[in-house]
Amino acid sequence: MTDAANTDRWIRWLNTVQLVLAGVLIMAPTVWMVLSSFKPSFEVTAYPPTLIFTPTLDNYVELTKTTPFLSYALNSLIVTVGSTALGLLFGIPAAFAVSWTRISWPAILTLAARMAPGTLFLLPWYVMFRQVGMIGSYTALILSHAVITLPIVIWVLLPSFDGIPRSVFEAAQVDGCSVTRILWRIALPLVASGVAVSAILAFVFSWNYFLFALVLSNGDTKTLIAAAFNFMGEGSTQWGALMAAATLIALPPLVLAALVQRWLVSGLTLGAVKG
Amino acid sequence: MSDAAATLTQDRQKLEMATLSAPAVIFTVAMIAFPVIYTIWLGFQTFSSTGKQSFAGLANYSKLISDYEFWHGLWITIALYVLSLVLQLVFGVWLALVLFHAKRLPGIVRSLFISPFMMPPVVAGMMWLVILDPSLGAANYILQSFGLPPSDWLASPTWVIPTVALIDSWQWTPYVALIVLGGLQSLPPSVYEAAQIDGASPFKTFQRITLPLLLPTIVTAAILRSVDLLRFFDIIYITTQGGPGNASNTLNIYGFRVGFEFFNIGYASALMLTLTAIVFGAVLAFNRLRGAVAW
Repeated sequence: MTDAANTDRWIRWLNTVQLVLAGVLIMAPTVWMVLSSFKPSFEVTAYPPTLIFTPTLDNYVELTKTTPFLSYALNSLIVTVGSTALGLLFGIPAAFAVSWTRISWPAILTLAARMAPGTLFLLPWYVMFRQVGMIGSYTALILSHAVITLPIVIWVLLPSFDGIPRSVFEAAQVDGCSVTRILWRIALPLVASGVAVSAILAFVFSWNYFLFALVLSNGDTKTLIAAAFNFMGEGSTQWGALMAAATLIALPPLVLAALVQRWLVSGLTLGAVKG
Repeated sequence: MSDAAATLTQDRQKLEMATLSAPAVIFTVAMIAFPVIYTIWLGFQTFSSTGKQSFAGLANYSKLISDYEFWHGLWITIALYVLSLVLQLVFGVWLALVLFHAKRLPGIVRSLFISPFMMPPVVAGMMWLVILDPSLGAANYILQSFGLPPSDWLASPTWVIPTVALIDSWQWTPYVALIVLGGLQSLPPSVYEAAQIDGASPFKTFQRITLPLLLPTIVTAAILRSVDLLRFFDIIYITTQGGPGNASNTLNIYGFRVGFEFFNIGYASALMLTLTAIVFGAVLAFNRLRGAVAW
């Protein structure tokens, strides 16, 4: 065997070792969370920690018994689906118009809003929503979360709309199609996969968002994320239920992200990188 | 088609386009622009204990300059920002190179690599809170089994910021890696081939060729992370709420507490506007840097 081939094999081996190392560092905490959620309550806090145990669903049962987990989950679903729908409703036409006219300020406006710290809007929102008695309403929560979803939809869809050849639209125009008709009948079906990716990303980030629901929800409309404190319990005895809650909260975004992982990169960087 | 008819169609088209963007623009103005103007106005107001409101001029801002907690929060914010950004960029570039050389990665492996930053930061905080528990956590067990001293992690005023930076870096290093990976994949292979023919070592190739070509991508990743890191909130709020003491009281956490725990709306507005100025300042500075390293 030649020296070069030897070096080559050595480098490949070294790379595999690093890949496995990175994989372990990335996965271990999540695996630990899921394992802990299936541990019997006396074993969750065992020290030294145990890896081998008889799995049980006790923690999940206890979680649904001692906290209104399912109604929080329903709240999360209402707010997330509502804000994603609103983001798509406003974002799709805006992205199309920006792509067509090359007038980009509406897109930049929504992005700038996404870059400011949420607390900046939360203060006036709190004052204003309180004045109209909307604190704790689903409407207030959905509107606030749409601030998260709208720029995601616009910026994920922009490159998709840009990718459609202009001649397609020009031909339709010659046939006398109105702009609105071109959007819904011709352009939208062509960017269907982009719409799906933008909807899933909007869903994930709305589901994960913490700050707004922390202030704008009440006991009845609290989302899962804002209710996280309710699962913390007192002291370390509740670890099993806490990890069960954490696992269940993380499940929807992780499953959705796995579905679209191939298209995620360009979407997540708001088009800064073509993935 | 006559000229008049063409102009008519064009005007009609412009109107239709405006109608299409209108909902998004009106929504953003109503939800963001108007409230921000309201916040600016609130920043000039004081509210007495009875809820009475009066014009205060720049009082909130002069209070800011003499407020120890503000400067402390600024220092914590910057320390956490620099530490996290450096960790995520260094390990992100490393991970990107590893993934790049792994070539064909099955979809399921890719999903696992993106899983940290797809999960809610709040969940990451809950998870690490258990792992890093000073007396019963798995992290200290691992340290001790290697003969290293245990740490108090989030419960230690000295280590809380490095620990939070570590948690955030666990979550977002794979994100930086995916962006850099995108940059690596778009580099022309010819440059590597030329370097190989010239007999350059892999390290020299990276240092002299790959890294400079990657810089614009790395700066992009830095911008995207800066926006999140400077307004760091979720993980701290769920794990320490700014503690122990005020050791992790970032500007965003401090502003939130002033506003929603002490209900000092006027002063909180001044704090949040200052933080917003810092975030946009950082983004603009990085944008210039990106212009400078573009090729």
